[in-house]
Amino acid sequence: MPDPTSSASDAALARRTGGRIVTWGLVAIVALLILAGALLLLTLPDAGAFNARVERIFIENDDLTAQAEIKLLEILAQSGTAFAETLASYRMVIFVLLVFATALLVAALVFLVMLVTLNRRMAQIERSGIQVSSLIISREENTVYLNTMGFKLTEAMMETLAVLAEARLDDEMLTGAQIEAVISGRSESDCEEAAGATRIKRLRDGLGNQLVSELLVKNIARRGYVLAIDKGVIEVI
Amino acid sequence: MKRMLLILALCAPASAQAACYADYKAKQDNPLRLHYGVAEITGPCTVDSARAALSGRLSANGWTLLNVVSVFDASGLGERKASAGPYFLRF
Repeated sequence: MPDPTSSASDAALARRTGGRIVTWGLVAIVALLILAGALLLLTLPDAGAFNARVERIFIENDDLTAQAEIKLLEILAQSGTAFAETLASYRMVIFVLLVFATALLVAALVFLVMLVTLNRRMAQIERSGIQVSSLIISREENTVYLNTMGFKLTEAMMETLAVLAEARLDDEMLTGAQIEAVISGRSESDCEEAAGATRIKRLRDGLGNQLVSELLVKNIARRGYVLAIDKGVIEVI
Repeated sequence: MKRMLLILALCAPASAQAACYADYKAKQDNPLRLHYGVAEITGPCTVDSARAALSGRLSANGWTLLNVVSVFDASGLGERKASAGPYFLRF
């Protein structure tokens, strides 16, 4: 079984990497939008362009002097100006669509990264069998709550669990003798390893579900017992 | 208009120097308006002097001179009268 503590830090690393990807993606999308907007605003001709063209035609052709012809040129320029106004409204529409497209792209990217992260998390959960997201030790009720499941324990088992939880919070490991010493109050040299092991066994039995307790109370060879959960999820009330 | 022409016709032979006219193109912006006109020029009868004289006269009336097409004497007036229309000898 992989160590859930290290896999939790793996998840944190994956989240950080994901965050970087999201940031770069957002920057790229916004840069694309700004580029497209600038192109849009710079390349489309303004109303003056049509008038300037008509004016040039008028100047360059010396025989364009009849009143009817000049009137026609003026109408041409006016229709050009009207078309330019239409173009401006098109530009606005395109701009709004661009903003929508960007919003959708951003949302799609965020969802994609979330999906990848969730898939990784699911794979981890499948590997470890159970993910303890909260461990609440309630001394008043003599109950331990694992996620949403409550397990009623005896006083002695609560002592053992509390000692293990405290040790986990301090990132310490306890041998059987140390557990016995903490609970009984005697010095460690006076305690037997077997006494602590018995307490652990009773705790596992008390938790009932052999699988759950195997996952929760881990025995590391020659080093001792430890709660196989992230210490951030432990809460003692 | 006819009386003006009459006066011009009377005046023209009286003056020692032949009368000088220029036809030009002018515009107004926003909305774009164009006109072709004929105007009398005092001073030397060249395109340059016509441009200098006309740009001042036109801008006083809110028009911008685009170019001076040509300069000519009284004999050229008749053929340009129809084209210039209301701008015939107006400025």
